[in-house]
Amino acid sequence: MLALTRRRWLGFGSIMIAGTLLATACGGGDGGDATGSEDGAPEDVDSDVEVTTAEGEDVELEFWTFVDAHADFMLERANEFNEANDEYNIILEASSADFEEMHDRLLVALQTGTGAPDIVDIEIQRFATFLRGEVPLHPLTDLYDNHRDQLVEERTAPYTADGVEYGIDYHLGAWVMYYNNAVLEEAGVDVDSIVTWDDYIEAGKQVVENTDSWMASVETTDRFTVLGLMLQNGGGTYDENNELILDSPENAEALQLISDMVNVHEIATVAEGGLHHDESYYQSLNDGKYASLWMPLWYVTRFKDFMPDTEGNILIRPLPEFPNSEFISTMGGGTGTAITTQIDDDKLDAAKQFLEFAKLTYDSQVALYTDLGFDPFRNDVYEDPALQETDPWFGDEPVMTNVQAMFDRLAPEYTGPQYPEAILQLRDIVAFDVIEDGADPAQALRDAEEQIRALEDE
Amino acid sequence: MATLTKGRAERAKSDRTTRPRQPFFHRPTVVAMVFLLPFVVLFGVFRVYAVGYAFVLSFQDIEGVGVSEWAGFDNYQRLLRDETFFNALRNTALYTAGTLLILIPLPLVLAAMLRSKLVARQTMFRSAIFLPVLTSLVVVGVVFSLLLSTNGLLNSFLGLFGVPAQGWLDTPHLAIPALLIVATWRWTGINVIYFTTGLSNIPSDLYESASVDGAGAIRKFWHLSVPLSKPIILFVTVLTIFGGFQLFVEPLILWGTGGGPRQAGLSVVLHLYRTAFTSFDLGYASAIGVVLALIIISVSFVTLKLFGFFKRD
Repeated sequence: MLALTRRRWLGFGSIMIAGTLLATACGGGDGGDATGSEDGAPEDVDSDVEVTTAEGEDVELEFWTFVDAHADFMLERANEFNEANDEYNIILEASSADFEEMHDRLLVALQTGTGAPDIVDIEIQRFATFLRGEVPLHPLTDLYDNHRDQLVEERTAPYTADGVEYGIDYHLGAWVMYYNNAVLEEAGVDVDSIVTWDDYIEAGKQVVENTDSWMASVETTDRFTVLGLMLQNGGGTYDENNELILDSPENAEALQLISDMVNVHEIATVAEGGLHHDESYYQSLNDGKYASLWMPLWYVTRFKDFMPDTEGNILIRPLPEFPNSEFISTMGGGTGTAITTQIDDDKLDAAKQFLEFAKLTYDSQVALYTDLGFDPFRNDVYEDPALQETDPWFGDEPVMTNVQAMFDRLAPEYTGPQYPEAILQLRDIVAFDVIEDGADPAQALRDAEEQIRALEDE
Repeated sequence: MATLTKGRAERAKSDRTTRPRQPFFHRPTVVAMVFLLPFVVLFGVFRVYAVGYAFVLSFQDIEGVGVSEWAGFDNYQRLLRDETFFNALRNTALYTAGTLLILIPLPLVLAAMLRSKLVARQTMFRSAIFLPVLTSLVVVGVVFSLLLSTNGLLNSFLGLFGVPAQGWLDTPHLAIPALLIVATWRWTGINVIYFTTGLSNIPSDLYESASVDGAGAIRKFWHLSVPLSKPIILFVTVLTIFGGFQLFVEPLILWGTGGGPRQAGLSVVLHLYRTAFTSFDLGYASAIGVVLALIIISVSFVTLKLFGFFKRD
């Protein structure tokens, strides 16, 4: 045995300490990680979904998301896929991380050429960033082609570049009006008498006069209030030719309507915290402070989660109509699931088959509603008994009532190259200036467009 | 001269022959290098290389994955026309000024109080004041969103004095005060520790002499503690300026990447982050970073000059 003298021990010890210092320094952070694992990396999802295996070639697929429920949804679909498919046995390694964290890591991984997952969820606001330059995602057009006759075509627009689709959403996200019927009844308003925005304003005046509630709440630090009506009126940020259309009369008209509701008719006010996702706002909505709000259909889950007193009172109806617009609604928010180009070639076919199975087939689209509470974007599933079921929370009506009737009147949302910046301008500057300060919508939109064009010209 | 050199060489040679040869890992220079190496390597890779690379990137146009081209000074010229950058710079400067007005005097007074005999259980108070530094940012974000919301605790408290409810998180002119509230809670503790250390270095006989001369607590604080803490005040001031201009986490946890109502809480670093990751415009983001570094260096230099740091005593 090697006898270690004191000096040798000291020498050995010093090397150990130096090594430890190195390891500590490498692992140390500045505490900036807001969520995720200790080192900020996406964490494996601790899912309740039991993974089953079946016959077929084992294919491990790494999947990143920022929504735990999406991970559960995909794990369930992987089980179903494995049962139904003899060729492949998908082993889905699902990881979930904070929103910003996941997108940032993905961008860095794709830029550096290593470390990206095989399948990934990319939020609609960030998707356009990945469509600039050489798109690091695999085209999914052939998957869409297999189901195109049943799909709401407009839902593919945000994930399309040069006519090629790169992502598949989790929902349609159709904008609807949520009415608190208890407030409307107290005001003496019949919800079904509201067809146009003029009707809505008249009803709003009745609500304000006869109750302690406001007709509506609007957002000044988020995009949904303004973007929904801009798109419904045939406007938006970009057109199908990737041309910026912020400064369009349709957009100005929509913003003027919202501004008038607040500043002229005084039937609407700014939501607590300036957005429809604030805890204080949930409380106010729960207390009946607002008779209605317009948000996409995925907002429906918030009532059951955060507003227990609204049970039985919420009625879901189409948006009131603009006099000159062909559209009744549009789609808001969204997350496109994509396959990155860093996937091994021999896994690509399995990944595409799995993604098609998990997102586009009839059963998976029914599951979008039953598992996640989202509105599917496949036409034929709306006849399914699961979607026809009535819900006492929502006036004993099917939650997805009226959705199918909107399908041929949905405005598509195009996301051009500077879409993220356009949205930041809309939600951070335009919404506030127009609603809070009563600024001229046309001027506010012109200024915003100038800012975006300055970026495009660089 | 030649003889001298020769003599030294011979002495060195005889030293080598007479002293026992040290094992490699026991030589002082080797030990020092082994201990320094981790820092030097990490500093080189993650600081020197990263800063240098960012400087190079600031002259490139990178938009989209795998696309880059030489852009000369375009990014810097764009910066001069970028209204959002100047808005962010104004917000950041206001915030930094606010932190200097709060995070120097308040912790200094608290540190002096914690050292005085008037306060019992000093260790407990010191720990309590330091605790926010260790609190998880997720928790901070959730708690302050609730505290500062319209129906939140702060408005309820202010309501007791007849102050109407304020929209701390959705009113532009309240965005910087909201950030300062979070910063005060979060950073007071660490500055108290710095000042406590500084104050403990002041000889106690000075205070005793002052007492004999009839000086009260306030007089002793103002005429002894403050002037004798000048080096530590300078240190904390420079750190606070660094921290102020690097403002990022506070607006992010209160408003996400939006920067608050009408971008009134948007900081330069948050603008940089948005440019780099939401827009993936790494070249322009690097230019913002380089300019921010120059601003911080200039402000720190002026501060040191004002404190007389460069004067010879």
